[in-house]
Amino acid sequence: MSSPVLQFMPELSQPLLQEVMDRSGQNLLACYQCRRCAAGCPVGEETGVTPDRLIRMIIFGEKEEALNNLLVWKCVACYTCGTRCPNNIQTARINETLKQMAKEAHIEPLLPKISTFHDAFLRSASHFGRFNELEFIGLYEIQNAKRELRHGGGWKAVAAEMKNQAKLGISMMKKKRVHFRLDKIRRLSEIKRLYKKARDEAGG
Amino acid sequence: MRLGAEIMQIAYYPGCTLHASSELYDVQCRKVLKQLGIELKEIEDWNCCGATSASKTDDFLAVALPARNLGIADASGLLEMLIPCSSCYSRTLVSQKILSEDTELKNKINTELSKKVEGRIRIASILDILVPRANSGVIAEKSVKNLGGLKPACYYGCLLTRFPRDIQISDNVENPQGMETVCKALGAEPIDWCYKTDCCGASAAINDADTSLLLMSRIMKDALAREANCFVTTCPMCQMNMDAYQDQVCESCGIQKRLPVFFITELLGIAMGFTLQEMQIDRHFVDSLGLLKELKLYAINPERY
Repeated sequence: MSSPVLQFMPELSQPLLQEVMDRSGQNLLACYQCRRCAAGCPVGEETGVTPDRLIRMIIFGEKEEALNNLLVWKCVACYTCGTRCPNNIQTARINETLKQMAKEAHIEPLLPKISTFHDAFLRSASHFGRFNELEFIGLYEIQNAKRELRHGGGWKAVAAEMKNQAKLGISMMKKKRVHFRLDKIRRLSEIKRLYKKARDEAGG
Repeated sequence: MRLGAEIMQIAYYPGCTLHASSELYDVQCRKVLKQLGIELKEIEDWNCCGATSASKTDDFLAVALPARNLGIADASGLLEMLIPCSSCYSRTLVSQKILSEDTELKNKINTELSKKVEGRIRIASILDILVPRANSGVIAEKSVKNLGGLKPACYYGCLLTRFPRDIQISDNVENPQGMETVCKALGAEPIDWCYKTDCCGASAAINDADTSLLLMSRIMKDALAREANCFVTTCPMCQMNMDAYQDQVCESCGIQKRLPVFFITELLGIAMGFTLQEMQIDRHFVDSLGLLKELKLYAINPERY
């Protein structure tokens, strides 16, 4: 939390709370902090922020933290929190909303590799209508390398990442689990139209 | 009429993984279900469902991508569609649910599709197909080998029982029993354990390895403490993750033992007398043949192997 003492400022909290509730379809005000979600969260130990705390953050209008904390990025979308919530709040949906809001606000993600992963996945699925593993890993690693070279790790980090992926790639190849043919659908134009509509939706 | 008494056709959505790194699961599903009297009709021109990435980052695509497949499936005229991959299954089921509640969104998506979503097709997981056939005795009837001595930790993962929307399933959410029912029908002795519906972090394996290794180590430790001698799963993401990274997980926490990670269809195939080659069991990362040999599950008919 940004301030040592909790301060409730409705002018900050109300717009944020309203936006998150509208977009995620979740009633955050129903949370009575029983922390069943926290108890079941598989990444809670690592993130510090658990679903209950994330909801508090939003209610208190802590926008900056809410849009970019470890839980938002490390959430594995296992849906344990939502399944166990006595008030039917699906926090994973809140995380999805916050990720999208962070992207729209051009906030550099706390864990950029995760964001790059999802972008590369959806791009790969858009090119041929099906997800091609080799194409995807190429797209993903090129983006990673670009980022490392721009700020941070440099060639050393790029090499370490490549080495790691190569290790998996080689063992997959040995087990004949690498697929070299590109899968492509016939009515690809339908997929292109859906992607265009998605961009329009996000923009509008 | 008893289930399995005659050939029935159902629609089939393999998903991208079953056409690539988990092709063995596709092969197994087709062979094993044929034995049970089910012919899988792969729907034409299907596309990627968007998986976890769409659901996490794009609300529209998360519904629209599976919707196209739903439209194609509805047009096939078949009543039911098998989706063996848990991720595809979950995304498609959720998309169908959202579309049934949001006519405006459905119309918006349908204008872009040559085959419109009608909402007719019934989505089935592999367990939805197998459990009734275990209960009716068809599976036991088609089995020629007893899997006694095999002690699988039945691993469901996240997406088979938990959904981001209000979707009811026939099994217990916290302690599902479907896979155990099938295993028992084959003579196997599934263990009782705590981590059957915990997440293995498959979607984080490439982009956040620390998290996925931590999650897998918990699953591995509990399975070993309960004296399982293998895992069995229905999800290609879980299978790949727990199989390909198991050495790394075990090395990070000093575990010597390894546990093969089988698809449920493999166990059925072994019990039905398919060869190891037919089931492609040599495509696992963790050695699976040692355990099967030890349990004499592939020495009964040696000339076939």
